[in-house]
Amino acid sequence: MITVQNLTAGYGKLEILQDLSLSFAHGQFSAVLGPNGSGKSTLMKAIMGLNTVFGGAIALNGRELIGSATEAISALGIAYVPQRENIFDELTVRENLQLGMRRRPREQRASALQETLEIFPILGRRGSQRAGLLSGGEHQMLAIAIAWLGAPTLMLLDEPSAGLAPAVATDVFRSLQDLRGRGITLIVVEQNARRILRYCDYAFVLREGRLAFEGSAEACLQDEETIKGYLGVH
Amino acid sequence: MPPALLTTSLVNTLQIGSLYALMALGITLTFSVMKLPNFAHAEFVSAGAYAALIISLAGVLNPLLIMAAAFVIGALAALLSHLLVFKPLEQRQVSFYTLILASFAIGLILRYLLFLLADSFNLFDLRIAIPLRILFRQDSLILSNLFAWAVPTSLLLVFLLTLLLNRSPLGREMRALANNPSLARVIGIPVERVKNATWLIVGGLAGVAGALWGMQTAVNPLMGWAAIISVFAAAILGGLSSFSGTILGAYVVAFSENTIMLFLNYSFSLDLAYKPAIPFIIIIAVLLIRPQGFSALLRRGGDLKR
Repeated sequence: MITVQNLTAGYGKLEILQDLSLSFAHGQFSAVLGPNGSGKSTLMKAIMGLNTVFGGAIALNGRELIGSATEAISALGIAYVPQRENIFDELTVRENLQLGMRRRPREQRASALQETLEIFPILGRRGSQRAGLLSGGEHQMLAIAIAWLGAPTLMLLDEPSAGLAPAVATDVFRSLQDLRGRGITLIVVEQNARRILRYCDYAFVLREGRLAFEGSAEACLQDEETIKGYLGVH
Repeated sequence: MPPALLTTSLVNTLQIGSLYALMALGITLTFSVMKLPNFAHAEFVSAGAYAALIISLAGVLNPLLIMAAAFVIGALAALLSHLLVFKPLEQRQVSFYTLILASFAIGLILRYLLFLLADSFNLFDLRIAIPLRILFRQDSLILSNLFAWAVPTSLLLVFLLTLLLNRSPLGREMRALANNPSLARVIGIPVERVKNATWLIVGGLAGVAGALWGMQTAVNPLMGWAAIISVFAAAILGGLSSFSGTILGAYVVAFSENTIMLFLNYSFSLDLAYKPAIPFIIIIAVLLIRPQGFSALLRRGGDLKR
């Protein structure tokens, strides 16, 4: 579905990803793992056109993305949930959800909203609350809900479990599994490898801007060398 | 202070405070949505006042039509300022200070265009030609038909604007853009369209404020500029982000300039010439003691606070 070929990318003049090639399969829940500074977030930002690409190609179903504006890329059906500033914290939860539906045809909106509240029931109970007052987990769920309401086919999430208590992070991963079950392709950057490997289908491990491992989540969990060497034991 | 004097000053506070609110809300809105403290706002007011004056001299005496003309001209002045100056500058990612200076420059250009117009057709210090009728008179307190137009119209427009911001899809998108511009782009809010709409509303309301002002006093090219510091003081009292704070700020500034000034004059013989210093004192005091203004006190879902 999305293919990255010989990608070298970074910020300003700094090259972080080095000649990286990988591809994400349609309908899969993939995790991108690796130590700090390995280029996980850089990869997401390169897909979304948010940083500097020095060379290589990124294609969505054969269509080249490099050089397009972020708005144009998200209009192709790629939703991106950054780690921070991913909701409208001064608006109410309901207003956030309404804004998320902007790309949907009017007649779909009521059912989309209903489906969202089935996936994230807590958001229904917080409707009139200011989004900035949500707890950490509710905040991430709202950010994911806003992205999902835009009717994407592919969602990129940058460390959705950062700063969350383990039980809450588990809730977030479960809701991601739920979305995958509804036909969305997911690419999730994570620090905590062991935790996400229990929920995702496939894993890529980056190290110093290069691909160090790729395989099914199970294979990754059983590969002691990768786990210990690159991911640390969690 | 004699009660009659107090009443008169309170009526003035209500009248001037409502006009300040109408203008200051525009300042708050441009600052929140566009991240721009727009000093050319003063000239949108003056341009609206001249539109109102000219159409009234041409024989149109219906206040609603006069205000509509002022709205259109104020809105056009604002939209053109955005399209011709602010937008190209933003695309070059110039600094905040460049944008402030650009707003001064636009104001200066508009102001002297109005001077040229006024000079060519001898339009200095004329009152918008709606016939004046006294509705109520007691001692020094006089309420005219213009007062009966100005105060309810300002209050109604402030109310409609609040409704637009808090209840309409456009208002929701304006607040979203003020709150998180990058997310607004990512989820597909048509950012340029929302900005254009914001400028039209801001300029239009400034124009109407100019017309209402010109009905009560007289129209000259400096009228907006003369009020802009008071108007900024009101917006700063609202923390440049809170709508309700800005409205409250407008009445506080008007109250200080009228009632408190008159009280100081009456009780301590303070010369009325000090009146223009009041908004400066308010601005400096707010920035030193409470830079967020009233915004934190009045925080609600509908505010624009970032």
